[in-house]
Amino acid sequence: MRRHLRDVMIGFVTVAGAMFFPMAVRPMAGQTPAAAVKVPTPGQFPPYKAPRTADGKPDFNGILQALVTANLDVQDHDAQPGPHPEIMGAYDAWPGGQGIVEGGEIPYRPEALAQKKANAEKRMVVNITSDPRRHDTGDPELKCYMAGVPRANYMPFPFQIVQTPNVIMIGYEYARALRKIYMNPNDKDIPKEAPADSWMGWSHGRFEGDTLVVDSTGFVPYTWFDRAGNYHSDGLHVVERYTLVSPYHILYEATIEDSKVFTRPWKMSFPLYRRMEKNVQLVDFNCTEFVLDLLYGQYSKYPSK
Amino acid sequence: MRNRLGASSTALGVVLAMGLFAPTFVAAQSSAGAAKTDAKTAAKTDTNAAAKTKAWVMPRMADGHPDFSGYWNMLSFAPLERPAKYGNREFLTAKEMEDVFKSGVRGSYDPGPPGSEDRFGGELFNPDSADYDATTYGLSPWQNGVKPNPRTSLVVDPPDGRIPPLTPEAEAKAKARQGGAVSYDTARDLGQGTGCIFQSGGPPLTPAQYNSGLFIAQNPGYVVIETETGSEFRIIPLDGSPHPSVKIHKWHGDSRGHWEGDTLVVETTNFRPDRTYRNGDPNTQKIIEYFKRTDEDKIEYKFTVDDPSTWTKPWSAIIPMSATTGPIFEADCSENNYAAVNILAGARRAEREAKAPVSQK
Repeated sequence: MRRHLRDVMIGFVTVAGAMFFPMAVRPMAGQTPAAAVKVPTPGQFPPYKAPRTADGKPDFNGILQALVTANLDVQDHDAQPGPHPEIMGAYDAWPGGQGIVEGGEIPYRPEALAQKKANAEKRMVVNITSDPRRHDTGDPELKCYMAGVPRANYMPFPFQIVQTPNVIMIGYEYARALRKIYMNPNDKDIPKEAPADSWMGWSHGRFEGDTLVVDSTGFVPYTWFDRAGNYHSDGLHVVERYTLVSPYHILYEATIEDSKVFTRPWKMSFPLYRRMEKNVQLVDFNCTEFVLDLLYGQYSKYPSK
Repeated sequence: MRNRLGASSTALGVVLAMGLFAPTFVAAQSSAGAAKTDAKTAAKTDTNAAAKTKAWVMPRMADGHPDFSGYWNMLSFAPLERPAKYGNREFLTAKEMEDVFKSGVRGSYDPGPPGSEDRFGGELFNPDSADYDATTYGLSPWQNGVKPNPRTSLVVDPPDGRIPPLTPEAEAKAKARQGGAVSYDTARDLGQGTGCIFQSGGPPLTPAQYNSGLFIAQNPGYVVIETETGSEFRIIPLDGSPHPSVKIHKWHGDSRGHWEGDTLVVETTNFRPDRTYRNGDPNTQKIIEYFKRTDEDKIEYKFTVDDPSTWTKPWSAIIPMSATTGPIFEADCSENNYAAVNILAGARRAEREAKAPVSQK
């Protein structure tokens, strides 16, 4: 009996030793052993389960910013001097960057492509009059007009998402634009169709898993997609998908549909980055005060032009 | 701001632009004319207290704090400062409240001559202008959401309902601002309102003749307040984070909120020198706002102005907010600023025709 017990003890200690020995010689607390974490691969996000708000929805609260240069050109582009290099030098040179258009090409109707090229040539023209057709002169960004959708999301400025059960607010630092994504389809106050046209669109949203899907219409035809003159009509319809893919990234996709300008829908996508500076907040970029002479100088007593 | 009256009505455009964007407009005096004084102190009037038969349950967020989400309007005919005839009386009698409201409604459609009891907006309406239709700009009572207000004035502290005196340095600054003709030489002369640079939202939140609506959305971490005029917004963190340093200035200042029981308290500092409340001192001005939901369709909004360089003591006002319906539409002010074009172009034309531009006192 005693020998039997001894054999059991030997077996037990051997097995226990084999189990616990690796832990005894494991590295210091905090380091993982054999399966080391790899440097992330651009374009790939490991599976991620996003935190939830109190009402059980994926939590999109935070301050975000794009790092692509799509505001200059949503397609691939080289660096180039700015509009006045003789004064501004490198301050205002435009960086190059890779495009965000999936597939690379924007499917313009042939006659619409001519308009895009004309836009690019006239992007710095400013001629404000009492004629409501004045908006077809120049890039709205130059005049500090609201950037529209999706351009506001890839301007080089942060924006803040504040998520509530009935509405998701997105406040943009650039030109202090505000979007309201209406989330409650039963809210009798909120029409399905846009009650009036707007620069930032009329948006309804819903969740699909960890993705926020936003459907927007009711746009004025005056915003551009970039400084390269890519544009749309009042028939613009944008479907955005915001997907929480890591604690620090949202994958952003925007499908553009506008049959007056494009032969088929097309898509842009890029990651949005969570701003992680301590106590980060939006500051003001109320650029209207910077463009007063640009917009109205021709009516000034002392014309600057 | 859109000029719906066309380029030819330059003078009216000028008057309206200067008048409608007076920085601290609040609905006008209710007692411009003769008033009967009542020696007795009127009974406190509370429109809520009377017939509340069922208990109202405060809407709350998931973390238990009150929820102010929704659409609200803050317009009434109560003046900012209390007319002297009321003395220290904070509330109107029921009959007085009804009379003030009726007078204000009448005045919306027909301001009447200066000094008239029906005069709405006081000096904001040019008595020489022809047939100004109150339904334009949504000024009529059925459009602008104005509600009866039981208070004799919005200012409640000091107890006489009048803003305390300015400090000597603030007096000197006020004098320096006076005089000088209004000019229309450049777009900068049009001011922040007509220039579409700053439209509304303070703080503090104050009503205007029209578009006094606001939209509040909140979660446990943030409160967002959008004010209708100009679609201005503030995002107010509730996480205890600090104000930025004095080197950061914001058009709406920097707001930080916290809860005291069921009252949301918001403190705002870091104002720009060119945008303080009532020409206060950006280095010392602090606005403290108190939001308390008192009913399904009522928020009591109180603000305290603490600016020791400007006023000899802090002062406070209460502005009742009433629930209204949404949505609030996007205001694309600068994107459609015909007023700026037409005012400046009109001034240039007047100069070319060797007339002086129309100037406002």
